[in-house]
Amino acid sequence: MVMEKLKVLHVDIGGCEGCNVSIIRAYPKLMDSVELDISYLRDGECKYDEYDVALITGGVCMNEPRIGEELKEIREKAKVVVAFGSCASLGGILRFCRGGQAPRPDHRNFQPINSVIEVDYSIPGCPPTPQMLQSFFKYFMAGNETRLKLFKVTAGVKKLSGFDLIDDVVLTGLCIGCGACELSCPTGAIKLIDKRPTLAQERCIRCGTCYIRCPRASQIICLGGVKT
Amino acid sequence: MMPVGETLLGQIRAVYLGRATDEEILKRKVASGGAVTAMLTYALEKDIIDGVVTAKRTKGLEGEAVVARTKEELLETAGNRWSIVPFAARIKAKIEEEDLKRVAVVCLPCQAQFFGQMRDFPILETDFGNRIKYIVSLFCMGTFAFEAFLNYLRVKYGVRAEEIEDIKLSGDFLEIHRETGVLAIPLKEAFSYLQTGCLVCSDYTGVWSDVSAGFVESEPGWTVLITRNQRGEELVRGAEREGYLELRDGSHVLGDVLKGAREKLARAQKNMAQLL
Repeated sequence: MVMEKLKVLHVDIGGCEGCNVSIIRAYPKLMDSVELDISYLRDGECKYDEYDVALITGGVCMNEPRIGEELKEIREKAKVVVAFGSCASLGGILRFCRGGQAPRPDHRNFQPINSVIEVDYSIPGCPPTPQMLQSFFKYFMAGNETRLKLFKVTAGVKKLSGFDLIDDVVLTGLCIGCGACELSCPTGAIKLIDKRPTLAQERCIRCGTCYIRCPRASQIICLGGVKT
Repeated sequence: MMPVGETLLGQIRAVYLGRATDEEILKRKVASGGAVTAMLTYALEKDIIDGVVTAKRTKGLEGEAVVARTKEELLETAGNRWSIVPFAARIKAKIEEEDLKRVAVVCLPCQAQFFGQMRDFPILETDFGNRIKYIVSLFCMGTFAFEAFLNYLRVKYGVRAEEIEDIKLSGDFLEIHRETGVLAIPLKEAFSYLQTGCLVCSDYTGVWSDVSAGFVESEPGWTVLITRNQRGEELVRGAEREGYLELRDGSHVLGDVLKGAREKLARAQKNMAQLL
């Protein structure tokens, strides 16, 4: 029996393109099970009217009403919406846009896509690796919700960063000093001093990797103990 | 009803009681049946892995991350630590320095969660999950906030940190071994000095591991081994096949393990309600 391929739409709503490159790099190993409709590989409109999964990359520019409309359309077209990358899932580095900055001086307010539409899974990472997407589809197609729980609960959260890690885990005294955050920070913003993390604020890009990699924080958000 | 097996003990493939066949392993201060040491010795000697990354006690309750490549090095790391070793970044440096391609990690449930997530979901290009062959998690009720714990030992019992040679669990007591003798402290009293973060942890066995190992009171001298996937199963059965490990069915002790897991979850929920 030939299994039908998962119809997957990818839409980028603005960002640095790192996530897009990651998706394209993941594709060769996904081709057998996934049919990816990606704007880089086609001319014009979306191929289908309905999709099993929509992968969205980039943050929502709130100064561009067009983007909000586009997102709502995608939500209607797709059964499952996945925010791929830190900007789409948590705001990421786009949170630091202040307007008046090159190269787009006119925009100053970017939010994660769950500020505009309902999201089913959020996969943080700046950018997440191609293997991450392959793993996601592997567990998604197997229906393994236990393994995907962390990404499901992250879909309900609008910001997670080094700042939140310090507030929720270190200041509450819940840090156990394992060092997972230090290892997970892509910019080296976190350093363990006396077995507890400290944050170099100016280096934190709000990607949220440290937060979801912290065993304590991820356990707590999975048990429902986090602000949304 | 909540699917207890799934949430409390994670995915289970098989439960065994294991004991090392090697006299030397059994003679050393292993926590129970020495099954973890035996399994990893097997994996090292049969060239299934290049090294084992684990923690070794240095002084008092402090530990450091080390790589063991031989049985002898592995034996030196056996035994309890009682404090967490900030393992993650250190492990990466060790793996890269020593160019290890296939490692086994022996860790606590929280660390197993981190390594398991890294292996299943590599978020960063720098992740080294593909080098982690086996994750072995030890049952854990928590680690001590050791400054506070040592202070309590000094103030209440006059025990100085540098005197402590070993700490063992025996029934409801924590035995502090010193040159001058053994001091038994009620566990209930010592538990107040666990790290606060451990008090909200709900994972007793390490659900993200390939094999969880620990002991139950009803089977002294044996290690409970819970295999969770094909990898874990291969490690345990391979060690048995090659004569490193003696195995018995362990399904009758699952109730005891579940009891520990329930206690930990109840404690986590109670503390979380207070703390968050």
